[in-house]
Amino acid sequence: MDQPRTDEDQELVARTQDGDAGAFDQLVVKYTPRLYGLVYNMTANHEDTNDLLQDIFAKAYKSIRGFRGKSSFYTWIHSIAVNMTLNFLKKRGRRFHLSLDDVDASIQNDKEFLELTATSSPVREADLSELQRRLNEAMMKLSDEHRAVVTMFHIQGMPHAEISKILNVSEGTVRSRLFYANRQLQNYLEEFRKNPVS
Amino acid sequence: MDEFDDKEIGRLLRLKKFEQPPPDYFENFLHEFHRRQRDELLRQPLWKIAIERAQDFMLRLNVGRLASYPVAATAVLVCAAVLSLKIYQTPQAPSVAQIQSTVPAVQSDWNLASQVSGVMVAQPRPVFNANLSTHRKTAPPRYVLDSMPVSYESTLRF
Repeated sequence: MDQPRTDEDQELVARTQDGDAGAFDQLVVKYTPRLYGLVYNMTANHEDTNDLLQDIFAKAYKSIRGFRGKSSFYTWIHSIAVNMTLNFLKKRGRRFHLSLDDVDASIQNDKEFLELTATSSPVREADLSELQRRLNEAMMKLSDEHRAVVTMFHIQGMPHAEISKILNVSEGTVRSRLFYANRQLQNYLEEFRKNPVS
Repeated sequence: MDEFDDKEIGRLLRLKKFEQPPPDYFENFLHEFHRRQRDELLRQPLWKIAIERAQDFMLRLNVGRLASYPVAATAVLVCAAVLSLKIYQTPQAPSVAQIQSTVPAVQSDWNLASQVSGVMVAQPRPVFNANLSTHRKTAPPRYVLDSMPVSYESTLRF
């Protein structure tokens, strides 16, 4: 996932700090879709994602006067989002219900989607919807921290260095968490491949 | 069938980015954000809003240095105020009553070998108080002692 232009963000941040609320609206519009994907794949619930996103932007708006630009706005807003979501998940505990829907039928004609599913792979051999459902379940079996890394790396396409900045951990920790999470997901999906009806 | 390697896991997970809310969700999100902000502002107490406005004002005046160290700045101001009060305050006469000692000061070089007169001279003479006199003022002064001793008891007569 391409990062947005930093200088454009800096200008919007500066205008917001000068009291231009419209500039912050532009940042909200710009970052809502990508933050939605991040929070949604960590919480697996649409209502929780919506509430969290509102809180994330509210917190960002309150704190933006203290933002000194030591990191990019992209990193800063993602840090707020990940930390607030992790805190929320700790409070929620294991009480959740999956609301992750199967892949929307309308995007099954999407070029990128077709490319991803065109190659010969277990994905094609298995029922795609069922596999996605199993994958969602497997994701929710990961710890919150591992799920955050998987979401940012695999789904959002962030590099290790960026994830390490957002989580404020070393790149080695990011790689280690990713390796462990991949092994867990593989094991779970292998069980599904061997026993598809279970 | 191949095994699920890292590549396949990644490919499957990338499909999840297509899981998006309805298109109008993002259009309404900003309106919902504004509505919540307004609601929160209305719920806030007046003093909190005033503090936030004051903070904004300070930041706009570019006095961030002072605003970032409010405690230190306040402490310096308080210390300066206390010191200035101490320096410019005129000393007042003590309000505690002073009791003069009735004991005369004795010369420091006095010892048992010294003459007594030297000590006695320093003692103040007692003031005669006429009211304390037992004699009646109207009676003429008498220079002859009474033949009978002064006594309130009756003399024994046989």
